[in-house]
Amino acid sequence: MKIAVMILEGPYQHQAADSAYHFIRAALARGHEIVGIFLFADGVHNANQFINPPGERNIARRFDEFGKQGIEVTACTACAKYRGMMPNIKVEHVRLSGLGSLADYLQKAERFVTFGD
Amino acid sequence: MSNKVVVLMRKAPYGSVYTAEAFRSIMGIAVFELDISVLFVDDGVYALVKGQNPAKLEMKPLGEAFPMLADVQVQELYVHDESLAERGLRPEDLVMEVKVVSSTQVAQILEGADKVLPF
Repeated sequence: MKIAVMILEGPYQHQAADSAYHFIRAALARGHEIVGIFLFADGVHNANQFINPPGERNIARRFDEFGKQGIEVTACTACAKYRGMMPNIKVEHVRLSGLGSLADYLQKAERFVTFGD
Repeated sequence: MSNKVVVLMRKAPYGSVYTAEAFRSIMGIAVFELDISVLFVDDGVYALVKGQNPAKLEMKPLGEAFPMLADVQVQELYVHDESLAERGLRPEDLVMEVKVVSSTQVAQILEGADKVLPF
């Protein structure tokens, strides 16, 4: 099944990004296709390449890894601007794009799953 | 693929960014081929109350923005009747005419959607 995911919360403060990560891994393991991951609102912080939690899971690296595997991971451009997330701050395999990407994922996916508060 | 999207408004319009982002996302995706409706439940109904003045919060009033959705072909706005009643609100208190729906209808609207965007 084609699945798209939206994340509305940032890293560590909230479970959303972690739950999304585990959901995506489980879906991939079951043979589903992830057509896109959209980082919206504070969700864009999950793409900060300077995230460096001593001895703990690195949430940004996890989403970078998904991007590296060929899954389109998009952080909302406007949300990034609001939060000072400059293009040079984000991890390499997450792209910045607008709500057109969200619309694209809504159109392509058979299921759309949101992780937020 | 049929693409009936329901944007679910659950939160008060100020105090967090969700309502504003939900509105922005509707405006952003409405130009694409998606059949969008908006459903207001719980504190989400406050988003439509007339006479909002959040100037002291350095926010723009959101209520007045919702009638603009008609300009982007988003015509279907639903408000949950019990959520209104629990907050002492009547349909006349809202910025626009909306369809007031029961809990059963809320369930049907969500069931009939291909995708739900909860904010």
